[in-house]
Amino acid sequence: MDKGKKSEKGKRSSKSNTLIFVVIGIFLVLFLSPMLWMVLTGFKHRGEFFTYPPAFIPKHFDWSNFLGGIKLGGGKAIFDILIIASSSALISLVVGSLAAYSLSRFKIGGKNLAFWILSIRMLPPIAAALPLFILYSSLHLLDTYGALIITYSLMNIPFAVWMLKGFFDELPPSLEESALVDGCGRLAAFYKIALPLIAPGLVATTLFNFIFSWNEFLFALVFTRSHVTPLTVFIAGLIGGHEILWGEIAAVGTMASLPIIVLAIFLQRYLVRGLTMGAVKG
Amino acid sequence: MGRKILGLTVCVALLVSLVGGVVVAQAKEVTLTVVGDAGHNLRPFEWYQDDFFKKFGVKLKVIGVPFAETYEKMKIEFVTHTGAYDIVVVFPKFMGDFAGNGYLVDLDEYAKKLDPKMDDVTPGYGKLYCKYGGKLYAVPFDGDVLSLYYRKDLFNNETEKAAFKAGYGYDLKPPATWKEYLEVAKFFTRKKGEKLGGEVLNRDFYGTAFYGQRDWAWAWWGNRFGSLGGVYFDEKTMEPAINSKAGVDALNDMIAIKEFCPPDVLAFGYEELKDAFLNGQTSMVIQWPCVGKKGADPEQSKIVGKVGVAGVPGGMVKGKLYRRAMMPCGRVLAVTKDSKYPWEAYQVIQYLTTVTSLDDVSTAETGLDPYRYSHFAHPEAYEMFADVESAKIYLAGVEANMEVGYPELTIPGAAQYDDVLGLEITKALAGEKSAEVALNAAAKEWTEITKRFGLKEQRKLYQALVKGWREAGLWK
Amino acid sequence: MGSEKSRIRSLRIRRLTPLFFILPCILILLAVSIFPLLYSLWLSFNSWELAMGLPKRFIGLGNYIRLFQDVRFWLSMKNMGKVLLFGVGSQFLIGFTLALLLNREFRSRTLVATLFLLPTMIAPVVIGCTWRQIYHYSYGPLNYFLQATRLSGGINWLADIKLALPSIIISDTWEWTPFMMVVLLAGLQSIPVDLQEVAAIDGASRWQIFWHITLPFLKPIIIVVILIRAMDAFKLFDLVVLLTRGGPGSSSETVAYYNYLSAFKHFSMGYAAAMSYIQLVVIIIIANFFLRFLRE
Repeated sequence: MDKGKKSEKGKRSSKSNTLIFVVIGIFLVLFLSPMLWMVLTGFKHRGEFFTYPPAFIPKHFDWSNFLGGIKLGGGKAIFDILIIASSSALISLVVGSLAAYSLSRFKIGGKNLAFWILSIRMLPPIAAALPLFILYSSLHLLDTYGALIITYSLMNIPFAVWMLKGFFDELPPSLEESALVDGCGRLAAFYKIALPLIAPGLVATTLFNFIFSWNEFLFALVFTRSHVTPLTVFIAGLIGGHEILWGEIAAVGTMASLPIIVLAIFLQRYLVRGLTMGAVKG
Repeated sequence: MGRKILGLTVCVALLVSLVGGVVVAQAKEVTLTVVGDAGHNLRPFEWYQDDFFKKFGVKLKVIGVPFAETYEKMKIEFVTHTGAYDIVVVFPKFMGDFAGNGYLVDLDEYAKKLDPKMDDVTPGYGKLYCKYGGKLYAVPFDGDVLSLYYRKDLFNNETEKAAFKAGYGYDLKPPATWKEYLEVAKFFTRKKGEKLGGEVLNRDFYGTAFYGQRDWAWAWWGNRFGSLGGVYFDEKTMEPAINSKAGVDALNDMIAIKEFCPPDVLAFGYEELKDAFLNGQTSMVIQWPCVGKKGADPEQSKIVGKVGVAGVPGGMVKGKLYRRAMMPCGRVLAVTKDSKYPWEAYQVIQYLTTVTSLDDVSTAETGLDPYRYSHFAHPEAYEMFADVESAKIYLAGVEANMEVGYPELTIPGAAQYDDVLGLEITKALAGEKSAEVALNAAAKEWTEITKRFGLKEQRKLYQALVKGWREAGLWK
Repeated sequence: MGSEKSRIRSLRIRRLTPLFFILPCILILLAVSIFPLLYSLWLSFNSWELAMGLPKRFIGLGNYIRLFQDVRFWLSMKNMGKVLLFGVGSQFLIGFTLALLLNREFRSRTLVATLFLLPTMIAPVVIGCTWRQIYHYSYGPLNYFLQATRLSGGINWLADIKLALPSIIISDTWEWTPFMMVVLLAGLQSIPVDLQEVAAIDGASRWQIFWHITLPFLKPIIIVVILIRAMDAFKLFDLVVLLTRGGPGSSSETVAYYNYLSAFKHFSMGYAAAMSYIQLVVIIIIANFFLRFLRE
């Protein structure tokens, strides 16, 4: 029956299908052109960044900016932020999903607790910079991974809680209820049934927790000196007073997106409808 | 049993002495932490690591901080007394804050033991930017001053010279006054299709350009303001004097010249300003010394060999030409109070400001610019120029401007004053307000700021500053 | 007796379980956030001009009074209003459109979705540098295209006092629309398929399915994602630094930029703290407004 339906749909909307693909195509071009410009800039040399006509194709395609960027410390910068972002994303996912489940299923603390959690993310980071600096300084956490992992978790956990709460709210509790009746513990119902069913939400949340940490600048600047060199601070360091290393900036920016692209591709599989979707029948 | 205990004790003693010995040996090696804005200007610290170790027994750990965030990065560590830094590469603008708040070591005693040769330094840098309250707190590292760069090929072109003489009645030459500057800029502003220097333009050409972004636009205003006799505050009352006639005239002059600048001049930061000139889009530009150096580099400049350097235009004060050139940015080296090895740190910075300074400012590997008379006296050292003659011309121009340097405001809280001034100036340039209204608003805000800081204290600090300026011969 | 005890124990566990779920979250958040929150609140009642090295001085509501009279602050808040309305608004509309378009099976869907995600994955400082090149009046590719296609003689993106903020909003939208898209797509993917199938069989039109099934299901996600973006929009800072520095004048000055200047350039710590708290209040009001929608 499904197959028949599909072909019927296909016949009906081939014109609208083409229209859809054209629209997608236009958006793709709009969104990817600046990206393309960035990647190409990574191959340009001095004299090609601001010129007329604009240098769409670099004169030489060599890796000097990429290698130069790594030599200046880009490799370590990417490594450092990889550790920080992964740790923070993981912590936030675990802590956040547990809390979100509790808020959604048990309505614990009501609206106020949920709002308090979200309000943590509302305080402008600049207000927290100096107090946290003082706090970390006294704990000897400055210039360590710990300082940023903790700080980013502080920002990512509320995000995870609210995102996942939304997804849990969307999920009917029927499956878990039946499992509980069958004698399953609440924790097991949580991670065996509820979590897999909101896989798309988990994916989106983890991805963005990772990205938020990856792209954060203010705290990375204030809490590190030389042992830990987050990527954003490193790239900002390429912006000198009388010399901006446009090529290295673009090259390192391109290299830095690769781990996230890999992560995104890996997680995309779970973003799409899973096999378990069919299990949720009214 | 006794023997076992004896044996164990001997082993432990040996171990302890071994470890202790290692610890002691490591303790003899001193590591100093240097912090400065990241990039090529920190290279000298890396280059001479061997010398520093051999001569002074120190190793350097160099930390680069993003340029735009240097101030806050250093300030936070100072305020919380983390003691993280020994040597700091400071922008003179912050000297008031850092020296005034006691974060830096007074170097006078050290200078007596090991001479930093401050007499060789141009007065602007030596006296204005390295001293505070009459004491020496830093030694110079990078000399920044604004100079007038112009297309000498266009200025020497016979057709252009004839046309200019016909139109304005005097010979075409690098402008000496702001009025001439305006006229030359107007003369050279041509549209695409018109002729310039015998060739047809395929793009619009402009007379000049300036730094239009909020952070340094006021320095370009400062050139005019200083040359018209302007002062920041009234010495006696601490009332802001930026909205004096000099100030308003200076700003109106800038608004007038905007017409002959590229349309996006208000978005010009360092890069855009440099490119406008070196790409051959403008006939003149007032810029930092590095433009002269980069102008000789075929990779970065389309006008190699065509760059002339002259003094920044001045104003006519009491019938005489009065020139003032702002000295924005710049770098000086200082030792922090929290440092455990101030003498070693001083030795390092003294070395850099005397022994290696010529090499450091004449190489293309850094962005450091000359600040000593001895720097200006050796044009052959500047490797980026194709010939010594070009280097000589360049150095003569920069030196001339340094001699008439106009200081940045360096009292504590300068950042706030500058921010407000830049804000109002760009508002006037954007056409949102008239020059007078803008500067009055700035002056009003300056009064508020002074009040918040405590008027008496600020006045005392400003008077001390002016006293130093006068002693250097750079203030009326 | 034994079964009684075990029943009590299991009841206790059942009652405490929700607490265990939420405890790690509360502990971590509380431990790290309590000091900054209280410290900056206390600071906001003091005058602390660190640039002058002055000590803290209690001035009660002085900073807040000054803030209410600060034209520059209200201008930056007005700019935030524009960012929220036009920035977050367009991010949602475009993001939702894209999510709907991608919510169907086709072969290269994973690739396309990943490609759309790219802008969000690049460090903001690189995005700022890239757009600074793109927006360049004389040498940027954007104006080059506009001139080549005769659409315009050249737009003064960053130097025109009326265009500076819109330029920043466009870059910001470019950067964050993928975020909206992915979250909304995830939300669409989580809607039970059979509900929509049953409705279709019953003869409901696509529009009716969308309005009566899809949207209500998506409501929690939509509210949350717009709320999160609105909150984060107040942090708009990197693009301002790299593109315009808040200029010309203060036309593109965001409240995060002014707050940063007050704290880390002027070092008026008390005033900056007060500014942060006012922002907090504004965001709380906005959040409450959104959440009321959610509860309806």
